[in-house]
This record gives sequence, structure tokens and C-alpha cells, in this order.
Amino acid sequence: MNLFNKDTNGNKSQAELLYEAQQRKQNQFRRNVILSWVALLLFLIFLFSGIEIKSGDGVTTVSSWEFQVVIENNREVRKRIESTLLSLPFGFSNQGFDLKTIIVDGEFIRENIDFVAEGILQTIRISILSILFAVALALLAALGRLSANPFIYALSTFYVSLIRGTPLYLQIFFFFLALPQLNIVLTGLWAGVLALGLNYGAYMSETFRAGLSSVGKGQREAAMALGMTPGQTMRRIVLPQALRFAIPPMGNDFIAMTKDSALVSATGFVHELMWRAQKVGRAEFRNMEALIMAAIFYWIMTLLLTSVQSRVETRLARGDR
Amino acid sequence: MPPIIQISSLDKYFGRLHVIKNISINVEEREVVCLIGRSGSGKSTLLRCINFLEEPSHGTIEVDGVRVEGGEKGKVHRQLVHDVRLKTGMVFQEFNLFPHMSVLENVIEGPVTVKRMERAKAVALAEENLDSVGMLFKKDEYPNRLSGGQKQRVAIARALTMEPRVMLFDEPTSALDPELIGEVLNVMKKVAKDGMTMLVVTHEMGFAREVADRVLVMGDGEIIEDANPKDLFTQPKDPRTKALIDRYRSGEQ
Repeated sequence: MNLFNKDTNGNKSQAELLYEAQQRKQNQFRRNVILSWVALLLFLIFLFSGIEIKSGDGVTTVSSWEFQVVIENNREVRKRIESTLLSLPFGFSNQGFDLKTIIVDGEFIRENIDFVAEGILQTIRISILSILFAVALALLAALGRLSANPFIYALSTFYVSLIRGTPLYLQIFFFFLALPQLNIVLTGLWAGVLALGLNYGAYMSETFRAGLSSVGKGQREAAMALGMTPGQTMRRIVLPQALRFAIPPMGNDFIAMTKDSALVSATGFVHELMWRAQKVGRAEFRNMEALIMAAIFYWIMTLLLTSVQSRVETRLARGDR
Repeated sequence: MPPIIQISSLDKYFGRLHVIKNISINVEEREVVCLIGRSGSGKSTLLRCINFLEEPSHGTIEVDGVRVEGGEKGKVHRQLVHDVRLKTGMVFQEFNLFPHMSVLENVIEGPVTVKRMERAKAVALAEENLDSVGMLFKKDEYPNRLSGGQKQRVAIARALTMEPRVMLFDEPTSALDPELIGEVLNVMKKVAKDGMTMLVVTHEMGFAREVADRVLVMGDGEIIEDANPKDLFTQPKDPRTKALIDRYRSGEQ
């Protein structure tokens, strides 16, 4: 008996009705989540909009504050200027209320957004180079971890332990500042890539190891029974399945790494997002505006990466066991 | 003509556990031999020793003229094992289809990767074998969309497409729901009818009685009875065989 069969009258079966009700509920939930997201986003924008709402002495006004450049004593200064948007002839008597939001220096953002945005490319470059390095290392470390050779096993666990036992921030400085003492001078970019790659390689090796051991013994035996060599078994049968298992967590690592690339700014020589934001923020004492810009760029990047990741995941799930 | 499989003085230890005790058997070409016995009697291990999924501790395996001494190491030994594996096809209890490949890809994987067969030729051969097990209509499906019986039929086609001289079946119906066992047994009968030499570890007494030319009964790592099915089912000699057959009879009624 098929639960989804329609009966002779063309009416829907009970199971079908139940399924539809469930779908409706799910869609409703999803819609409400999206609406709430929009509401939260609008609230955040409002919080930084510089709008002030005052009500008192029988008058209610809505005004907008903005930084503007004015000449004062022959010098350019940025001053908060209020412009009234709306004035209503009614409201609270006497004191009333005064609701102020945060005033962001729009002029500063307009002047510096291009400079900060140029860092995006550098951030992406660091992330991609590091992730490639990390994946190669992680694969080697994971294979070493499954090796029967005690030295190779030790090498792999030693590397993972050493790297995971020390801060990433320290590792970046080590490659940038400590190695020159040994006459090895790396540019800030390569010191960063090396440190990020080594660091994420150590963490990702765990993911890879889990992926490799998720492939059952029967798969190897079937490949061997067909006459495959150990190398062919690894390449054709084990690795593709292990990678499928490892790709979703790898996506998370890549996203995390994109954000951790900000630490490379500490070397002072890699002009990525964070470095640029700090530079312009400090110069004009507009750190809030500068960091907000960088935060928005990072956020957009991770949102894009997350959507790519979920697309990859649904694709991978298609031919799954 | 010499027997196609010759096993002589085979021993297998797992640590101190002696699971195969000095077994010697021959299988003639086109013969269908069923291996029965209680679980733990060593029948699966014996089968897996033939294509060296288990390395025998001592003894010799010879398949279609390729002679391999058990318990050896090194390049020559590995090459011989590889040669034996090319002559034997294996069907597992758990099917072991490759989940990341479609049915057709599963079946051509061996010929293309191992034998370096041209893809088009492998596809033609694979489709022929898939057709003969009745699974051609699912050739583009992934294994997770198939029933257990369908998976096992694909696994049989996969082994056949390597064009082996001998087929080894390791409890091919034990992981199946009862209503799916028949379709797999029917395919196996067809393979037997086409003249394939078969060694089948099974609990399916009905299949053994109907299809086998010879039945080997194993107990405690030894062959305790070697007879044609008619004699075995009517006049078992060993009391352990008798117990097995009585249990089968009581289940049948």
C-alpha cells in the first residue's frame, strides 16, 4: 500500500494532508525568521543612524545629526550638525523624552571606504593561499596519523600537538619576527600564510582523519578483491568518500580562517582589511567608523562563503549512501 | 584437466586462535561448491583466504595455475596475490558497493582502473552483465537508492565484469530481508548455469541442495563432510552435519 496514493475520489490521503500541514508550518516558520532578521537589521541601522526623537513642551521633533566640515578659526573641523526632519505641534508637556542614536561620521566613511575596501582582495589572497597550504598539510598529517609506521605517526601527532598547543598570534609573530634572527626573512604575507596554513592544517587534520576512518573496511576489501593496488584504493575509493565527509567542516574552517587572517595585520606589513581599518581609524580618531566598515566587509564575505558552502553541501548529499 | 582451485594444507591463525586447520580441497572447473556450517566454524575465513583478503598462515592456494604460498611477504608475493585476485570475483555479505559511484560506474570501476580496459568496452560489458542480473534499468542510480537485493545483484554484476574464472560468495543473502533473498539466489543460479565455477558460503540449505554439485560442511576449522547434496541431505555421517540438517528440516515445515 502506498501512503501517498490518492484514493478513487481524487481526494488527498491522510498522509498527504499531514505532510502538507507540516510543510505549511515549516514555511511559516521560515518566513517569520526572515522577517525577524530584517527587523533586527533595521534596528541596528536605526541605532547608528544619528536620528534623534525629542518630545517635550508640547512639541515633537524628529531630527537627523550629521558630521559636517565647517571652517572655524581658519581651520577645517568636523562638527555635529542637526537638521530637523519633522516637527509636530503636539507631544509631551514639560520634560517629555529625548531619544538619541549613535552618530556615525558619514563624511569619514565616504572618504575612506575605498581605501578599506582595497583590503578585501588581500584578505582573500591570504585566505586562499593559507587554505591550500592547510589542506595539503592536513591530508599528510591525517595519513600519518593512520600510518602503521611509529615514526610517521609520531611526526604527525607531534606537529598537531605543537601547533595546537601554541597561540596562532604567537605563530604569526614567530615566522615574521623570530625567523629573521636565523637570517630567514619572510614578508608579512608569507609569514602569515605559513602560520595560518600550519595552524589550520593541524586542526583540519582531525577532520580528515575522521573522514578517512568513516570509510568502512568493506569498501577497502571490495576494492582489493577487484585487484586494486593500495594506491588505487586510496585514490579511487577511500579519498573521494573521505573528502565528501570532510568538506562541510572544511568549509567552516575556511570561513574561520578568513576572519583569522585579520591577525596577520599585526605584522604591520600586510595591507588587508583589518590593517587598513586600523590605520584610517587611528589617524583621524574615527575607530568606530573604521571598524564598522571592516566588520561589514567581513560579514558580507562570510555570508557569501556560507551560502556557497550550503550549496556545496546539498550537492554532495545527492549521491550519498 | 587439473582442478581450477587447489587448496593444500591450509592453516590460519588469528593470534593463538587456530581457525583453519590443515585444510586441503580441490574444486573442478564449472563446479558449484557450497560451504555450510555453524557460524564460527571458519567457512568465511577459508573463502577469504582464497583471494588473500585474509593472508593464510601456512599452506598453498592455487587458482587457475597461479600458485601462491601463504604467509609470505615481498614484491613477488604481492604480484601473485594480485594475479589470483584477477582470477577471482568476490561477492560480500554487506554488498560493499561504492556509494559515491552510480551503478554503472561501480561495475566498470574494476575493468577500467585495474585492467586498463577502454571505457566504451567496459561499459558494453558492464551493461551486458547488468542486464543479465536484471539491473540495467537502474544503471544511473546511486546505491543508496537500491534495495538490498538490488544492491547484491549489482555487486554480482560488478564481480562478473572483471571476467573472473571463479566466483566467491561470502554469505550473499545473510544481510537481506527474507522477501529479497529469492531474487539474489535466482541470479546465482543463472551464473551457475552459465558454467561459472562457484564457491558459496551460505546458510541457504535449499540453495545448496538444489544448485550445488558438492557440499562441504565445516566445523571447528575442519572439513567434516564432503559429499554431493543428495547423499548429504539423506544420510549425513557426522552428528554435527545431522544437527545442521535437522534444524533446516524443522525450519522448512
